[in-house]
Amino acid sequence: MVAEIKKPQSQYQSGQAQVAIAERLTDPGWAWTAYKPDAHQPWNLAQAGHLYRRAAFGATWEQLQQALRDGPQRTVDKLLRPQADIVAFSRTYDEHENSAVGSAEALRAWWLRRIIQTPHPLLEKMTLFWHSHFATNGAEVNNARLMRRHVQLLRRGALDSFQSLLQGISRDPAVLIWLGADANRKAVPNENFARQLMETFTLGPGHYTEKDVREAGRAFTGWFVLRGQLRYIAREHDGNVKKILGQEGKFTGDDVVRIVLEQPAVSRVLVRKLYRWLISETEEPDLKLINPLAESFGRDYHVLRLVEKMLRSNLFFSPVAYRQRIKCPVEFALGIVKALEGTVSTTQLGQDLAALGQNLYHPPTVKGWAGGRHWINSATLVGRHNLALSLLRGSGPYADKLNPWTIAKKHGFMTAKSATSFLLELFLQGDLDSGAYDHVLKTMQARVGADSGDVEARVRRFAHTVVTLAEFHLA
Amino acid sequence: MFYTRRDFLKATLGASTLLSFAPAVPSLLVRSVMAAAPRRDDRDTVLVVVQLSGGNDSLNTVVPYGDDEYARNRPTLRLPSKKLHKINSLVGFHPRMGAFMRLYKEGYLSIVRGVGYPNSDRSHEGAMRIWHTADPSRPSRQTGWLGRAVDSIWSANETDTRAVFVGPITRPFGLNAENAIVPSIRSLRDLTTGRMPGYPNEQSAKKDTAALARVDKDNPLLDFLRCSTLNAHCNSRRIEAAARTTAQTAKYPSFQLAWSFRTIAQLIRADVGIRIFFTELGGGGIGGFDNHANQLGNHCALLQQLSESVAAFIHDLNRDKLLARVILMTFSEFGRTVKENGRRGTGHGTAAPMFLAGGKLKGGLIGPRPSLTDLDNGGLKFHTDFRRVYATVLDRWLGFESRIVLDKQFEPLDILDV
Repeated sequence: MVAEIKKPQSQYQSGQAQVAIAERLTDPGWAWTAYKPDAHQPWNLAQAGHLYRRAAFGATWEQLQQALRDGPQRTVDKLLRPQADIVAFSRTYDEHENSAVGSAEALRAWWLRRIIQTPHPLLEKMTLFWHSHFATNGAEVNNARLMRRHVQLLRRGALDSFQSLLQGISRDPAVLIWLGADANRKAVPNENFARQLMETFTLGPGHYTEKDVREAGRAFTGWFVLRGQLRYIAREHDGNVKKILGQEGKFTGDDVVRIVLEQPAVSRVLVRKLYRWLISETEEPDLKLINPLAESFGRDYHVLRLVEKMLRSNLFFSPVAYRQRIKCPVEFALGIVKALEGTVSTTQLGQDLAALGQNLYHPPTVKGWAGGRHWINSATLVGRHNLALSLLRGSGPYADKLNPWTIAKKHGFMTAKSATSFLLELFLQGDLDSGAYDHVLKTMQARVGADSGDVEARVRRFAHTVVTLAEFHLA
Repeated sequence: MFYTRRDFLKATLGASTLLSFAPAVPSLLVRSVMAAAPRRDDRDTVLVVVQLSGGNDSLNTVVPYGDDEYARNRPTLRLPSKKLHKINSLVGFHPRMGAFMRLYKEGYLSIVRGVGYPNSDRSHEGAMRIWHTADPSRPSRQTGWLGRAVDSIWSANETDTRAVFVGPITRPFGLNAENAIVPSIRSLRDLTTGRMPGYPNEQSAKKDTAALARVDKDNPLLDFLRCSTLNAHCNSRRIEAAARTTAQTAKYPSFQLAWSFRTIAQLIRADVGIRIFFTELGGGGIGGFDNHANQLGNHCALLQQLSESVAAFIHDLNRDKLLARVILMTFSEFGRTVKENGRRGTGHGTAAPMFLAGGKLKGGLIGPRPSLTDLDNGGLKFHTDFRRVYATVLDRWLGFESRIVLDKQFEPLDILDV
């Protein structure tokens, strides 16, 4: 069967539809209600692509087609709670990582491979989110075993309880070494962890005082990292009364975590951060939009429920979210790899992504990757262009693991012309504004059809053109 | 009337009517953009930082031959005064630094003496970290001074790369930024776009211009990416062009450092908005400046590389009338002990001079020569805090705000002719 693709309806709505949507967006009740397709916001390939970019690392053609058949909510179900045997998959990859002793480069490569292969990409997406939130730099920790455990801790908690995750972080040797909090004596209380806990991990500036930090530092006395092992030395713990965020008692580190999480500021901070990650990084959301989610998240700190609320929402499938984020380098590269159903050398990929500013296991500072427009400068754009070239050219460090022509044929697009339409659908769901769409198809198809060289080479060039369009950098 | 390239783009294409069609960015457009009047930016000055890894023995670099204490403390390492390139009756350059002597005479070189900081760290890692963070009080600080400098000038629509590390080793910590991504390159290839084999010729690419130059009112992020993609391609073409024109003319000695300088000169010539370059000599496991034993030969080789590479760089820029835009600055994590150590080497020291080279320097020796007898645990006492030199290049040369980068205002030195 030879498939053909008709020019799709653009995601760019008519002015009338935009006004209708804009009116509804001012209503938080509507914004967080589960999305049901209607005339203004129909379920289409562009929406499916959007969902897979945010909740995963891109999609295969089959996944996009299945999503069209399943509808939005059923597709979200599958992304939140996949049918596959996640436990067995995780065990296998944990074992791979455990045997990758010694080097952070090997861990980086295994993580990328895991992201490509996983039946539960949302889990990895959220692990990456927490990796930037609890940003710990492996070069400073200088212990691959501890870094492996650190990211495994993030993955265990990624969609689970933020409270348990935070408790785990407070006793994670990698984090304590990185923050210079690996020796906390009664006589010389170490404030480093307490400070980052309040400033970066939970409350944010303005919601605590220097005195709270000092007192919290005392509560964490007794904890040490000795030869890479976490140790609690009871006689080094300051058992006296502390006063933290208005509460008084003979507090320990666990008490500090509990007290901090009782502050309403925490859930607002996290909901905002997750909003930036899953919905939009272009506009600061209104407090009235954040509050309903923050209130319910603050009650149990259950991450999966929060993520679920966001992914199912009208807001998520609205223009407020659509293409309102810049892909991080991992999303950019794996968007190509996933769509073309290949597995590439992730050792090489880890290195190339580091050059684009995202060195997994090595976030630049405790603030994580700034992201957004910071990903983009002349050097990183040239780097993205060259990485895409390297992935798609069929020879060189990535060999011929990705072949757009083969994938087009696999899905029934047997001519050079239909393959180009297919690639526009696959990578961008055909969603270029209409002038650009016509232009790309007309001139590039003419070129792909007429230029010298075999069809495969021409389709490769076309694929490279598509993934270096400005649109493809948007998540 | 003057234009920056970005002004030119706005004037000719409208603020947001830019191409999204990356590989096919037409050469016609790129050429006309590149031919636009030179940058008008008030500051297009460039700082080139050269790290001498391992702790350079400054006493055998700028040699105080006229001080008897020098010969007394250096029974085997002292350099024969008749072979030195004498600056005055007290000090002279190492015999292999004839090229620095010429630069000095031409007024392109300054030597800031006695630079350091209180309670100096004597471990390589600790001391280097301090020079990188510029914050001796917070050894665990997570950003470098140059990284902070780049972050301090960030603006949401400006996408020129502002700082680059050039060299074969891991990017030094000094460039670690909280927000900006500072690339590390080995050659110009890392900053130029490659092409798929058999990519259509330029003739057909030209056609892509008009159809793809369009506005997206609804998505500023998309506009941003279209602008920055076009800008990136323009920069890439500029770099290619600069590389082509200088491949034959410039003469550099065949050292790795000289190769890095040649790359930097090409990037300066390409005028792509990079304000800070960082390169390095002595790291990467090839011995470096850390000479605890049998120092003479190795040190000779390194100083020759430094001196001849810097001189080639300065003369290359000068020939193209670019030297007035550039200042080069060297640093090392510490100097070495005045007394040699019994193994024809020296121990980790303290204060040391920093070299500055460029077309807008007052030149000469800056600050008094540190005493060889009144010492800080066997090393020279500093009189000029290194952050004053940093503040000088930040405030008075680059036009950045050193107070933001260094957390407080250090008094700049009066060493620039600007």
